[in-house]
Amino acid sequence: MNLTVVVWATTGTLFFFGLAIVVLRRQLLAMLLGLELMLAAVNVSLVHHAGLFNDAEALAVVALVIAVAAAEAVVGLSLILRVRRSGRGADSAVLTELQG
Amino acid sequence: MTAAQVPLAAWLLYAAPVSAILLGFFVARRFKPEWTHLPILLSCAIVTASAFWLAADVYTGHSFDLNLFRWAGAGPFGVDFGLRIDGPGVAVLTMVAFVGSLIHLYAVGYMKGDPGFSRFFLVFHLFFLAMIGLLTANNFVQLYLFWELVGVCSWLLVGYWFHKATARKAALKAFLTNRVGDFGFLLALLLIIFQFKVTHFHLLYLKAASGATFVLLPLIGVCLVWAACAKSAQFPLYFWLPDAMEGPTPTSALMHAATMVTAGVFLLVRAWPLISLVEGLPHLIAWIGAITALFAAIVAGTKKDLKRILAYSTVSHLGLMMLALGLGRTGVALFHLIVHGFFKAALFLCTGNIAHALHRSTASVDDAGGLRKSMRLTYLAFMLAALSLAGVFPFGGFFSKDAILDSAWHHGGALAVMGMLVAAGSAFYIFRMLFLAFYGARPEQKQAPHAHEAEPILSVPVLFLALGAAFAGLLKGPIERFVVLGTRGLPSGLPELNLVLNLPGEPLLPHFNPLVAGLGTLMAVLGAFAAWRLTMSDPGFDWRWRGGMAEAVFESDFGWKPLVDACVRGVSRVAGFVGKVLDKGCLDGVIEGTNGFVRAAGSAIARSAQGRINDYLWWMAAGTALLLGRVLR
Amino acid sequence: MIVWAALVAGIVSVFFAAVMLMHRSLYVSAVSLLVVLLQTAVLFLLCGSSLLGLLQLMIYAGAVMVLVVVTIMAAGSEGERFSDFSFPRPLACLGLIAAVAETAFILAHGTAPAAVAVDPALQSQLGAVLFKPYALATEAVTLLMFLAALAIVPEKAAA
Repeated sequence: MNLTVVVWATTGTLFFFGLAIVVLRRQLLAMLLGLELMLAAVNVSLVHHAGLFNDAEALAVVALVIAVAAAEAVVGLSLILRVRRSGRGADSAVLTELQG
Repeated sequence: MTAAQVPLAAWLLYAAPVSAILLGFFVARRFKPEWTHLPILLSCAIVTASAFWLAADVYTGHSFDLNLFRWAGAGPFGVDFGLRIDGPGVAVLTMVAFVGSLIHLYAVGYMKGDPGFSRFFLVFHLFFLAMIGLLTANNFVQLYLFWELVGVCSWLLVGYWFHKATARKAALKAFLTNRVGDFGFLLALLLIIFQFKVTHFHLLYLKAASGATFVLLPLIGVCLVWAACAKSAQFPLYFWLPDAMEGPTPTSALMHAATMVTAGVFLLVRAWPLISLVEGLPHLIAWIGAITALFAAIVAGTKKDLKRILAYSTVSHLGLMMLALGLGRTGVALFHLIVHGFFKAALFLCTGNIAHALHRSTASVDDAGGLRKSMRLTYLAFMLAALSLAGVFPFGGFFSKDAILDSAWHHGGALAVMGMLVAAGSAFYIFRMLFLAFYGARPEQKQAPHAHEAEPILSVPVLFLALGAAFAGLLKGPIERFVVLGTRGLPSGLPELNLVLNLPGEPLLPHFNPLVAGLGTLMAVLGAFAAWRLTMSDPGFDWRWRGGMAEAVFESDFGWKPLVDACVRGVSRVAGFVGKVLDKGCLDGVIEGTNGFVRAAGSAIARSAQGRINDYLWWMAAGTALLLGRVLR
Repeated sequence: MIVWAALVAGIVSVFFAAVMLMHRSLYVSAVSLLVVLLQTAVLFLLCGSSLLGLLQLMIYAGAVMVLVVVTIMAAGSEGERFSDFSFPRPLACLGLIAAVAETAFILAHGTAPAAVAVDPALQSQLGAVLFKPYALATEAVTLLMFLAALAIVPEKAAA
């Protein structure tokens, strides 16, 4: 049991849980959260391997990913609110057509 | 010979009936239906005169066979319409024309007052035309056309009183059984075209005489025999003929006695050069004929309805004709065909007179009785025809039957014995009929109190036919000359070809053999004596067999009828299965099933593209996983 | 020792991710994600990058997730009123206990606990990397964030 194993296990599980949330849940906001979870898991993995391989570029990537994820979360949020406000509800089962 | 040289008589053979029918249909039927018979009787007279004229032509050696026009062509092969006026054809044609004209005359009186009078005459004459066409056809396809036409007319006439369910059923049975034979004829036709590339008789005779071997010939022969057996009511396809007695008496007399049923025999005569080349086939024909003759003669002696007795008698005599043919005696078969036409028609018309006198459509032994006193002319005619049928010297039937018995005797074996037994059986049933119908009214019979002789228009034709039956023996020489000479003057009228129609080295019609003649006459006397014992010296004998198992056995033709019914039921069940289950269920099901299948598949596939984001995400995840798996390996 | 701490952080984050997947309520899912991100920040620290751990905590967990949670509460889910947003008490206790335990561990460890020997210069190279080889990327991301901010504003104005 070393850190690498723990990190791999955690990261892998978190990633697939995030994927499951995105694929299985019907509320758009929940999908967004799942997306965030996936990105977080990937970040953890990157940081660990940066330390392992002594690669600073990985850390740079992590920083950039955090920034982009934040921006994406915000824009996604505003989009979802827009959809919700149009009256059709924020349910992916209902929203099958790109309209309005 | 060109079309211009064809004698007028040959043109009139066709032109007269066709114009009579057209005139009758478009003019008479519309305005004065009761006059429909007039153009038709005129046409009958013209046809009879033409037939005699052509007979004289052929007798002096001027037969001809030529194609008139090509009806349909496809490259080298074509269906031609042509005329073949040769010995066998014109011999039978003369009988058909003469007997047919007399029956037309009889029908005028018989059908008077019937609401469908004009319909009857038009169809009757159409049949007459079809028979003429059949006898003068010069190739198999044309013969097939007229063969089918004859079958259609038979259906129309047997079902003439269509409001009777029995008549409709009988007509359908007759037509469908003939259809079974027609199928055989069609197969034979196709095989002939395939094997020989031509269907004209004279070309086929040349090919047959050329000595080459033809692979399909046995099959062709069997198919033709099959067709002839259905049309000429041989065992086992005879059962339609007794039921066809539902038609009016003139129909029964003309079609089912003299002409239509002999078409089968005539087909075999036309095809004889081909059939004689197949080993064993003539032997088969002879056996079929002998069995039919004996079986039908026995059954005829057990029937109660007068017309049905005569129907079985016809079957029996057709069997005799087939027997003669199978023994290689074409001339004998033709001779018997012609003589049989006379006496059978006479007998049928006498029965018609009886029925007419009793105001019924048909009579049975229960109704008739003691008519000797009240219907003298009919009795006389019946007696003459009966003596002819039984084969008593010097009446006509003696000569033809003697010829057949002589051929069978020559052949020896079982066929000879069967021939003699048939002679006895024929005498038995006809004399039974005579004694029961005309002699001493028995207590069991409803004595017909009002029976009187029929009017002249009904009795005179009968008399003529009976006289013809009596003196038909004189025709023996001319018939021989017809058959021998009949192929002279034809495109293939090679002298040696006569031998193809006859056993080589044997005379065409056998010379008189005292032993056979004596034996035949003895058999006839035995049969007549048996009939006298069972009907006159023991008047109630016939009625003691009523009720109980004997009657059931007789009614069912010794068990053959139920067998046939079972076969027909089985076949229709198979047909029903094929139609409902295979055709409708499987084939239609497959075709309509593809529709349903495609629709189901479509909606199943459509479910994957409904715009649901989650589904797309699933696919994306799976695809990415696969790709990554491939890439990272 | 540090590995056990990492294991605990991992287990807690996985547990809360499961809660996120299963729970019906969107609010609970959002707050669970918040806890997960806190745990990942701890993992960042234990893997040797305290800077990124801090950044994660501040930006990701502290700003983004709080924004999401507040938006959920403000926009309201179907049928849920403000007062209905409740986080199950046992889960809250668990999260709190984990947070307290980890904080205690870190403080007790003194220097930043790293399970593996990480080059101390690694983190300082982060800045160099961001502005030299990845300069273009950094500028692009900055622009993106600016645009995102711009994109939102008219929304609010229209609404």
